[in-house]
Amino acid sequence: MLPPTQSSKAAPRNSDRPELASWFGSFYSVLVFIFFYAPIVVIILFAFSDRAIPGLPLGNFTLKWFAEAIGDPSLMESLWLSTWVAFVTAILACSIGLPAAMVLAWRGFRGKTLVFALILSPIIIPQMVTGISLLLLFRQAPQLMGSIGIIIAHTTLTLCFAVMIFYSRLLGFRKSYIEAAMDLGASELRVFFEIILPLTMPAIVAVVLLVFTESFGEFIVAWFVSGFNETLPIAIWTSLRFMLSPKINAIATIILLVTMTLSVAAQLWMLRQMRKTGDMER
Amino acid sequence: MAVADKSQPRGSGRWRIFAGIGPIVLWQTVFFAIPVGMLSVYSFWRMVNYRLDYSFTLYNYVQILENPLLFKALLLSLQIAFAVTITSAILAYPIAYFIAKKAGRFRTLMLIMVIVPFWTSLILRAYAWKLLLGERGFINAGLVEVGLIEQPLSFLLYSPFATALGLIYSFLPFFILPLYTSIDKVQDSWLEAAVDLGASPIRAFFEVTFPLCVPGLIVGAVFTFIFAIGDYIIPQMLGGGKNLLISQAIVFEFETSQNWPGGAALAILLLAIVLSMLLMLLRWVKLEDVV
Amino acid sequence: MNMRTDQNPAVAIDSVVKYYDEVRAVSSVNIDIAEGEFVTLLGPSGCGKSTLLRMISGFLEPTSGDIRLNGSSVLGVPPFKRNTSLVFQDYALFPHRTVAQNLAFGLRMRRTAAGEITRKVGDMLDMLGLPGMGNRRISEISGGQAQRVALGRALIVEPAVLLLDEPLGALDFKLRKQMQSELKRIQRQLGATFIYVTHDQEEALTMSDRIAVMNQGEVEQLAPPEDVYKRPATSFVADFVGETNVLEITVEAMNGRKASVRDAHGHLLEANSFAATPPSPGSQSKLVIRPEQITLKQTTSKSAARLSGTVDEIIFSGATARVFVRVSDNERFHASITDGENIPAISQMVELDWASDAAVLV
Repeated sequence: MLPPTQSSKAAPRNSDRPELASWFGSFYSVLVFIFFYAPIVVIILFAFSDRAIPGLPLGNFTLKWFAEAIGDPSLMESLWLSTWVAFVTAILACSIGLPAAMVLAWRGFRGKTLVFALILSPIIIPQMVTGISLLLLFRQAPQLMGSIGIIIAHTTLTLCFAVMIFYSRLLGFRKSYIEAAMDLGASELRVFFEIILPLTMPAIVAVVLLVFTESFGEFIVAWFVSGFNETLPIAIWTSLRFMLSPKINAIATIILLVTMTLSVAAQLWMLRQMRKTGDMER
Repeated sequence: MAVADKSQPRGSGRWRIFAGIGPIVLWQTVFFAIPVGMLSVYSFWRMVNYRLDYSFTLYNYVQILENPLLFKALLLSLQIAFAVTITSAILAYPIAYFIAKKAGRFRTLMLIMVIVPFWTSLILRAYAWKLLLGERGFINAGLVEVGLIEQPLSFLLYSPFATALGLIYSFLPFFILPLYTSIDKVQDSWLEAAVDLGASPIRAFFEVTFPLCVPGLIVGAVFTFIFAIGDYIIPQMLGGGKNLLISQAIVFEFETSQNWPGGAALAILLLAIVLSMLLMLLRWVKLEDVV
Repeated sequence: MNMRTDQNPAVAIDSVVKYYDEVRAVSSVNIDIAEGEFVTLLGPSGCGKSTLLRMISGFLEPTSGDIRLNGSSVLGVPPFKRNTSLVFQDYALFPHRTVAQNLAFGLRMRRTAAGEITRKVGDMLDMLGLPGMGNRRISEISGGQAQRVALGRALIVEPAVLLLDEPLGALDFKLRKQMQSELKRIQRQLGATFIYVTHDQEEALTMSDRIAVMNQGEVEQLAPPEDVYKRPATSFVADFVGETNVLEITVEAMNGRKASVRDAHGHLLEANSFAATPPSPGSQSKLVIRPEQITLKQTTSKSAARLSGTVDEIIFSGATARVFVRVSDNERFHASITDGENIPAISQMVELDWASDAAVLV
């Protein structure tokens, strides 16, 4: 989901600026990055420390919290629930969002502004409000509470972002690619799978990543809507309220490392794709 | 050629439009528009003796103004949201500028590093700040070690300060990225032209660069404000029990008081605040410049 | 019904009209193109040439009229079912595929066997002058190479008609000249039917068997290059193709296609008309004469039979000199002179002379 950058080949490095500004800039950036990563480092540190209550001074190195976390069935169940809920949400968001973005980016029709407003309004509404409204809806249909409810809620929260990302990518999509494929004999379905899908892959990866992590880590709405099922954030939350055990740190570390690795890998892949296909936009 | 080609072959594009737009329109209507509508309706009802009274009333809204707890929550939420937005803008700008203009080949790396924490769960990061800010946490321990203070600072955690800090931390990437995009669009040659025409570098910055960053500032500010005012986890984890924010009040009404209409009114009020901010903003700024 | 006889033109455009809402983009165009012909649709932007091309390829449908390929109508037939191939202005080479994969695309859509695909791609790469470049990514090849790959991709499926939409616009001058002769050579070699769209009249004159000069949705003239140049049917054609001088005249008498005309100064001149309906005596018209057809003779007095005037500007451009002669307050002719010896001087009085069948009435 990196924003497109100006070609760094074009502008020469500005060597006229005083060195001081650059030095300050680098120093400041380092500070900001420390700010960003300090909490993450802290969690990881405490996950390996054998103190029962996290705090300083750090105790001895241990892996027992990890063992405890993995050995805890309800925690693992929450992890599993969060994972597959996030997964289904991502699939839903893409399947509903991509066709919509294609129509919005490439076709005109009456009432388009209205449709845009309807699709994008969740962005400007605090997530909690959206979640609570869904709670009201589910009260009328209690069978939807639980994991289905969470999936519905998370999809509703992330659809607008999915459409936004797809839309902005598809806006610059060269129509002549589609026409050339059709001209050479590809039916519409064929064109979608051969041309549109591959060239939109970076956007799809970005959306999947965004939706997945959003859903995976989302707490408050899930809490309202889940009934008796506990997603991982809920489990963490409950555990934190009662300060059960540092195994929370352990599982947090696992999640952190997994999501960070996934996100870095995905970003690098997207960059490579965009460099390979060169100029996809006009 | 971003305009859709109106002359489609065979004029049968109609069904494709419906197929593409249909599902999402249906989804949004059923799972978003209608529920929010229901929420507004709820806000005008009332809980009397644990039963829902369906008659129209403004009781809940009046309560927000009259009940000191609720009113304070509203004010505090607004204050914190504004403070967070402004502080985030100030903090985000230098780094966005640096990445856009000075980073050179580290640019991509830095962008990734900015985004990556965002991909991790919010609840985890909030929890991490708890560890950092606590009386036995890292920051206090460090300050005591170095000798700057004798006793651990207690205001670091469970205070509006902690809430604000947590909010800034969580949403800073949302400010950095749009700002970065705006700044990146400012071509060096424009600045060179300004300097050539007699402006000092600082003047050139304010005359050329800064005005062109306004779209990015606006996008960042809008997102930050919306997230800051609506977030629940950060205030709940870091704010302590004494100063409630509007999001916590909403949860309280729903979960504890079982006062759904009351909670609904608070939520609708929250919504109204955000929408009116946006409308005011749109007066100052044309939408096309921002999108 | 597919009547593949020699009577049927390869492409028949029959009274085709295209409206965009209220705007008429193409109005009642009739063109028959024979197999193996190179026909160019020439005109300024907005004249309807690209619209016409898109209707032939299937991306637009005519509002009325018919388009037939080899006798059978293609109305309502989607592009992927028509036997036409389009070379796009921006090449539209698939960026996520290699050169070979781009070439193979159309064959894959036709479910050609893998072995045959490889063979045909190899042959095409050779024909295009790009041997061994199959594995290159699209982002790695030059503009000229991309142009050829785009051509190859369209040709490899052996279409009945190849359509080219201003394909050489992005190339520099020298490359463009090269590609023009390449295209012509390939067309001759394959005996293929080409329909070419361009706004560059020089390009059209060089490559075409026939040119359809279009203006505001109508075909003003459909003729071989020499006819379009030397015997333009309308003033638009005369003005758009090559340079020309225009003189307002009144028709005095018509004899078949020959006309006797009188200009504002009373000169009696001769001209030929190639319009569909020749002008009638008494009507106003225009006489056009090309700069290179004018010879200048120094003179001291005005004559009744020839135009004369004063030289007021000379522009040298290498081999030729353009001499501007002011004939009257609002009339200025220019002659193109290649004979370096005989260039008159500024403010000299000269007589304008031309061969009797060179002037055209439009």
